[in-house]
Amino acid sequence: MMKIFSPFGAAGLAVAGLLASGSAQAVDSSFSNIRHGKELVDAGDCVSCHTQQDGGKKFAGGRAVETPFGTIYSPNITPDPETGIGGWSDAQFYQAMHHGIRPDGKRLYPAFPYPYFTKLTRDDVSAIRAYLNTVPAVKSPPRAANLTWPLNHRVFMRGWNMLFFTPGTFKPDPNKSAEWNRGAYLVEGAGHCGACHTPKNFLGADKTSQALAGGAIQDWFAPKISGDLHDGTGAWSVDDIVAYLKTGRNKFSGATGLMAEVVANSTSKLSDADLHAIATYVKTMKPEKNPPPAPPQARMDDPKMKAGAAVFADSCSACHGGDGKGTPGLFPPLAGNANVQQHDPATVIRVILDGARTVATDAKPTTSAMPAYNWKLKDDEIAAVASYVRNAWGNHAPPVDPGQVKAMRENLREDHASGS
Amino acid sequence: MSAPNFNRREMLTAGVLVGSAAALDATDRAQARSISGDVPWQEGQANKPDIAKPGTYLFLTAAEAACLDAALSRLIPKDELGPGAKEAGVTFFLDRQLAGPYGEASHWYMQGPWKKGEPTQGYQSRMTPAELYRAAIKAIDAHSGDKYSGKTFSQLTAAQQDEILKGLEKGDIDLKTVDAKSFFTMFLQNTMEGFFSDPLYGGNRDMVGWKLIGFPGARYDYRPYVKKHGQKLALEPVGITGRPAWKPA
Repeated sequence: MMKIFSPFGAAGLAVAGLLASGSAQAVDSSFSNIRHGKELVDAGDCVSCHTQQDGGKKFAGGRAVETPFGTIYSPNITPDPETGIGGWSDAQFYQAMHHGIRPDGKRLYPAFPYPYFTKLTRDDVSAIRAYLNTVPAVKSPPRAANLTWPLNHRVFMRGWNMLFFTPGTFKPDPNKSAEWNRGAYLVEGAGHCGACHTPKNFLGADKTSQALAGGAIQDWFAPKISGDLHDGTGAWSVDDIVAYLKTGRNKFSGATGLMAEVVANSTSKLSDADLHAIATYVKTMKPEKNPPPAPPQARMDDPKMKAGAAVFADSCSACHGGDGKGTPGLFPPLAGNANVQQHDPATVIRVILDGARTVATDAKPTTSAMPAYNWKLKDDEIAAVASYVRNAWGNHAPPVDPGQVKAMRENLREDHASGS
Repeated sequence: MSAPNFNRREMLTAGVLVGSAAALDATDRAQARSISGDVPWQEGQANKPDIAKPGTYLFLTAAEAACLDAALSRLIPKDELGPGAKEAGVTFFLDRQLAGPYGEASHWYMQGPWKKGEPTQGYQSRMTPAELYRAAIKAIDAHSGDKYSGKTFSQLTAAQQDEILKGLEKGDIDLKTVDAKSFFTMFLQNTMEGFFSDPLYGGNRDMVGWKLIGFPGARYDYRPYVKKHGQKLALEPVGITGRPAWKPA
């Protein structure tokens, strides 16, 4: 298949070429093109980042996006000419989407996933613009990012792009089915799944050799979604993945946290054909080339496992079942659960501390929720029960240390205090 | 002065007023809530009980605590079956209850009209539980001082204490400022609550009350045991905040 992200790409040359050929191209504002653009905007989940939480005006920006390097505030992408993108030409819009460069020549930060949007065809980008032209204009000035050195200098992004960014429209693989190629286009392009689900290097760029192998984000761990059986989507059928993306739930899991937003704002709105294509593609994503060696399964006669078993029996088993099989569709099974067995235990610890609620969708309007245990279980008790569920019933994943629970507890306290 | 009794039934039947009394209550811990729309849920938030904080007494004076220690040691004494109410921390439990919304009667209707009620109508005193305990302990110590040459209740022999407690239970003793029977009824009830309620409230220390009667504690789920007919399960009791087995050895 295509090489998604080659380091040391010829970004500078491509930009120069584009600027030279940036001719005025009128956007097709027919209804069908606008509708096509809306489908792509849904697939890209633009609204989640470009809208403030708790009642912000759609696409007016201002949402804080936490990154390991500081906070970025999403810009206004409504057609307001002064504070939005109404003053941009269509060529300038394409330049931002394809090259990550603003009309003033400054480079965008890859919190805006242009390394993915560069895969979009010119026609599709035009359709997105056509749709965004129709959303209500909102006057809302952009807010400056608050980043650490050296990323606080946008000029630094020139070097970042040279290292980590290869502009280029998606090229279908003629040896694969049309459905697979459609899925690849959505996942690697508009859907930008890897923005969360691919691990990042120390400068926040995708580790391209581990595409979709799971990534840490905002005190969650976005799980591995490549086709691995143990901790990926290997055990899920195509229909299971479609059900998850469409309804927010399947017999294995329910979408919560950041993925709840993705399902609510994006995947639940996609056509069944597109969801089927995504699932077909994701499942064929190869397991990691050099996965870390599987940790030895913890022994159940270990004191920590015995304590974890006791906590589980008293606090968890009523819903998740003593055998870890849960009640499919309502209480997720933990036995064989890929999310529970990620090498990074952030999600397991977080859900035990804070609880979780599945997303409500048109197909499954009733949410199910797990309560918070932060008031009830101490750090060592959570470490014990997390280690237990990661190693009981044939599961295996590294045990959890009380220090990891303590750190997550403090992070979440700060997150809640700051309202994020 | 006779005990200040009143009949609250007329007011209780006036649902509107009961509703507004509840709405005026600043502490919503013990209150029912009306919910519409989505089921409330917020990450990190739990509808959690108030866990009794360890430390010194918040409501009781040392003399009051000594009186209660002695009295509840007669209601549930330490014996060959195990620790009694005092050893189970019931005085501490009572202190935390009296210092909190229960002591303030914060979820009870406590306004007039003040008429004498029937025994079937439950607690009828104008006093909050905290006021009742404070006045009753003072009166009981005064009563035992009158009868036993200046000794407080806690300084009496067990037989003398039992005699006074029986007198309170039957209403034979006139405590003058409070209704003896009302106090005894509440005190006995509260002592049992402290001995058998979850340890997080400060009593039932080490789940001794549950161990005594074989209650397995705050368990969610008995499905694994449904088919174990006629077997002794010997389940270790578990409190809401845990049991010793939760701690990695």
